[in-house]
Amino acid sequence: MTVHFSYVRPASLQDAVSQLGSDNALIHAGGTDLLGCLRDEVFPAEKLVSISGLPELRGISKTTDNGLRIGALTTIAEVAAHPLIRESYAALAQGAAAVASPQLRNQGTLGGNLCQKPRCWYYRGEFHCLRKGGNYCYAVNGENQYHCILGGKNCFIVHPSDTAPALLAFGAVLRITGPRGSRSVTLADFHVLPERDVTRETVLEAGEIVTEILLPPASAAMRSSYRKVRARQAWDFALAGVALALELEGGRVRRSRVVLSGAAPIPWRAVEVEKIITGSALESEVIHEAAVAAMTKARPLGKNGYKIPLFQGMLAEELEKMRQVS
Amino acid sequence: MKDDEQDLYFVEGIAVPQTPLPGEEPANWGKTAVIGRRQTRVDAYERVSGTAVYPSDVVLPNMLYGALLRCPHAHARVKKVDASAAERMEGVQAVLTGASLGRQVKWPYNEEVATDLFDDRCRFEGEAVAAVAAATPYVARDALREIKVEYEVLPFVADERRSLATGAARIHGAGNRLKADSYKRGDVARGFAEADIVLEEQYRTACEIQAPMELHGCVANWEGDSLTVWESTQGVYAVQAKIADILGLPLSRVRVIGHYMGGGFGSKLQPGKYTVCAALLAKKTGRPVKIFLSREETLLAAGNRPPATMTIKAGVKKDGTLTALQFTGLASSGAYPAGGISLLDWLVRDLYLCANVQSELTDVAINAGPARPFRAPGHPQCAWALEQMMDALAEAAGLDPIDLRLKNIPLVSQGREGAPPYTTTGLAECIRQGAEAFGWREARRRTAAGRKEQGHLRRGVGMGSCLWVVGGGGPPSTVIVKLFADGSVNLNMGASDIGTGTKTVMAMVLAEELGVRPASIQIEHADTGSTQYATPSGGSKTVPTESPAVRSAAIAVKQQLLQMAAGELGSPVENLRYGGEYIEAVDSGKKVKVTGIAALKKQGVVVGIGYRGPNPEGKVVNPFAAQFCEVEVNTRTGEVRIMRFLGAHESGRVMDRLTFDNQVFGGITMGIGLAMTETRILDENRTGKMVNCNWHDYKLPTALDVPTDMVSLPVELRDSEANSTGAKGLGEPVTIPTAAAIANAIYDAVGVRVRQSPADPLTMKRLLAEEAPEVRS
Ligand SMILES: Cc1cc2nc3c(=O)[nH]c(=O)nc-3n(C[C@H](O)[C@H](O)[C@H](O)COP(=O)(O)OP(=O)(O)OC[C@H]3O[C@@H](n4cnc5c(N)ncnc54)[C@H](O)[C@@H]3O)c2cc1C
Repeated sequence: MTVHFSYVRPASLQDAVSQLGSDNALIHAGGTDLLGCLRDEVFPAEKLVSISGLPELRGISKTTDNGLRIGALTTIAEVAAHPLIRESYAALAQGAAAVASPQLRNQGTLGGNLCQKPRCWYYRGEFHCLRKGGNYCYAVNGENQYHCILGGKNCFIVHPSDTAPALLAFGAVLRITGPRGSRSVTLADFHVLPERDVTRETVLEAGEIVTEILLPPASAAMRSSYRKVRARQAWDFALAGVALALELEGGRVRRSRVVLSGAAPIPWRAVEVEKIITGSALESEVIHEAAVAAMTKARPLGKNGYKIPLFQGMLAEELEKMRQVS
Repeated sequence: MKDDEQDLYFVEGIAVPQTPLPGEEPANWGKTAVIGRRQTRVDAYERVSGTAVYPSDVVLPNMLYGALLRCPHAHARVKKVDASAAERMEGVQAVLTGASLGRQVKWPYNEEVATDLFDDRCRFEGEAVAAVAAATPYVARDALREIKVEYEVLPFVADERRSLATGAARIHGAGNRLKADSYKRGDVARGFAEADIVLEEQYRTACEIQAPMELHGCVANWEGDSLTVWESTQGVYAVQAKIADILGLPLSRVRVIGHYMGGGFGSKLQPGKYTVCAALLAKKTGRPVKIFLSREETLLAAGNRPPATMTIKAGVKKDGTLTALQFTGLASSGAYPAGGISLLDWLVRDLYLCANVQSELTDVAINAGPARPFRAPGHPQCAWALEQMMDALAEAAGLDPIDLRLKNIPLVSQGREGAPPYTTTGLAECIRQGAEAFGWREARRRTAAGRKEQGHLRRGVGMGSCLWVVGGGGPPSTVIVKLFADGSVNLNMGASDIGTGTKTVMAMVLAEELGVRPASIQIEHADTGSTQYATPSGGSKTVPTESPAVRSAAIAVKQQLLQMAAGELGSPVENLRYGGEYIEAVDSGKKVKVTGIAALKKQGVVVGIGYRGPNPEGKVVNPFAAQFCEVEVNTRTGEVRIMRFLGAHESGRVMDRLTFDNQVFGGITMGIGLAMTETRILDENRTGKMVNCNWHDYKLPTALDVPTDMVSLPVELRDSEANSTGAKGLGEPVTIPTAAAIANAIYDAVGVRVRQSPADPLTMKRLLAEEAPEVRS
């Protein structure tokens, strides 16, 4: 069965958008996620539109308002190593460094990392699951040890990205170009919960390309970190992860953003934690209370109940570290 | 060429061992000049530069590419196969199905059970249903998708613990019980009555997959009625025998070649259905056919270490004397009998002194790929149970774990008829020397003190010991060594070098005996057409089997050279001494260069044939080991970091210190996989399919999962009886106690017993929450 298939590498963003106008045309950035999906026949493609010929989508630079602009084609490795990011957006550098393996970080892009497909083994495997147009989610009564404990309904994927939690914690905004021009979407509005639409992971419409990721200026009082727990020390997705971005003043938390990975179908803001720690000096009792609160809404499936004490323990550990640096 | 350059193959000033007179047994080596040093692999350059040709690199003129269609269901009946569309595709040269083969070709799963090559009953996901050969690998894969198969999906069972339950899906007509075995010595009831402490516990090791770097596969080519197969294998003669048997060919018509191969760990001791398919497709098309499996296919259908559920009840006196061991093992071969319980209780029977031992083993069928031998079959599973139990007994008796073990060291093999003695038993020495080098007692004091501080990062140390049931090697083996007129040497042996350094070690044996440089030795091996019969490289027996044969062939060469030199020097052979470059008459002091011997120049070559002699009668040759490790457990996250490891191994003489250390580090790494990350996960409720069937979700440990602080400590007891080189096996004992040592270290750190592997954060966090809620989280 030889399907009709073509591959194009346009030299301008406009051309890329119009190339994406045809049926089943998909964006190809680093290809680390896309090619695996095609090999495993997770979804079909008739045309790949490579965006690697668009240099304007690369690079990291300061914006006029002292924020940061990261081109969508910037590799994960560049994000992890960049001095400005390491200094002012440490959680992002740490998250990027925790992605996959050196080879994948050199090839994979930040845009692709935010748009990557779920890693649920039913979705990726030979199972006609709900997300692929089937009738049910195999994870519900299945091998759900890696699945979500928050935000699941009808489908129980976890969002696989290690860079999204930090970006969300910093309040990142995505610039998107498509057939109807350009628009901005906050990262908080970018990912889609299954209960809203189980067939898509992002709000991107056909033909839309993420061109850049914008970060607001980092305050000098900001302390951030990303922590990832995994079953294997490299080349493995998060069982549980947390990005912390706290503004500290006189030993007290003035503002906080806490975002979990490995917990939910989208990068998950733990607002319960934020509420409890904001205004505190991260005293032991506060940390304990926050860690417990993070999981009050958790609904584990048959085999992922371990995630609840895991998230609680990890949050406690990370918040204590924050107290020590504050 | 200048005269002095002719001798560039010899090492200067090397002390070559005495040559025995014809008919005499060679004396044991004393101090050695080459053996025991760190010798770089003789084929290192070829392997690293990429010039080494592995079976997966073989490309022949006009070659076709084959692929196998595999059943996507855990259990199904094939009702209809329609290959007509595939056959019509451009580039497709041949399609084989159950119908086109008729009932001609059988696949033997073991001595008793055989099915059709493409059987209409598929008892596991990944069972072969059809095969194609096409112009490119891509067309071959596309053609598979065009074969329409109608399946009747049948109920399945995915877990060995449910296989015998009433209502469980029936996999074979006679039921799901494949095999049972039992053992008894003494009287366990009496033993338990004598005990001060009796403990009982259940353990389980998950199914682990060999996952060698080079995939399984071959290239098959016919010349007339003769078949040549390049196979990625551990034993060319074993592949030859099975292929000849299945295809009804004389052995002389099947040549199997496997010079280089990229790992097998037991899963490549035999050919696969793919080998038969490649041969049949090549016959049908009249062209060579290459079939290499995908990674997914090897995970499903190329073997595994069976999952095992084990119960141990043990009795011990307060002074540490073991009084009884009772073991029950339930394991699964997969869909067909394949050694599911093979050696599963051996350590219980043989490792520790105990008068009263009983075991019951049951092998059951599940709908999953059949097992194949996996590095020390049965042993790491049994060690996981026994060595954790020893730890628990020690704690209950208030003894240090090493003291409990030292109290129960056997000098005879109690598990065997007549309890024969071991030639050497390094068990006690491995424990003592290992503990000393590791700093065991001091570390135990430190971790005990650490437990009182309530931090969430807890250190623990643990150990485990083992023996390996074989590892002495033995006949048959024939080796031919040729010394050419210029002094360079050719070694011809049938054994495969499965990445362990067999070629290098054998070159060192020749260097030791002949005084030649290892690099000057040309090695031909692993080819049934041109090298001598050898058993497959498995069972940790290759070095102890082949090295004495190589030594004996070298001695045969020396004896002939001495004979030739006798006339030239005018002295009787008894008075001559072979010294490498020169042969010297001790009576007259006259010398002749080996390359100057007239008879050698005339004859062009001296051919020495060596055989592997018998093993010592009434004695057992086994390797022993003890491993020690330190871990750090994060009680908040369940993460376990392995901080350091030490392997103390008594495997007879250290032949090449580099390959020795490679095995120790590699075995520990593999054991870390069993303990920490690896597990085949079947979708047990709905489909029975393997959900983590890919290179990423089936988690082999990476470099970051293995400590940088790893120590290999050879415990070199001179074994003068084992064989003429004194070497014993090493490749398997290195991975036997590893996982158990880790589990014991975790217990030392947090007081939680990891009864089920792997000890990943999933398991650890669940256990910590259930069993140690007082541990701070
Ligand atoms: C084995 C493995 C392990 C991994 N482990 C981790 C991990 O631990 N943590 C982690 O965070 N990630 C992990 N990843 C994911 C990896 O980081 C992503 O594959 C990578 O970042 C994707 O980038 P890419 O440029 O290769 O994307 P591609 O593969 O080219 O694209 C991925 C998807 O995004 C779409 N896309 C790409 N760029 C854009 C754009 N600019 N606008 C709109 N859509 C776009 C594509 O159409 C496609 O659907 C792993 C991946 C693999 C294969």
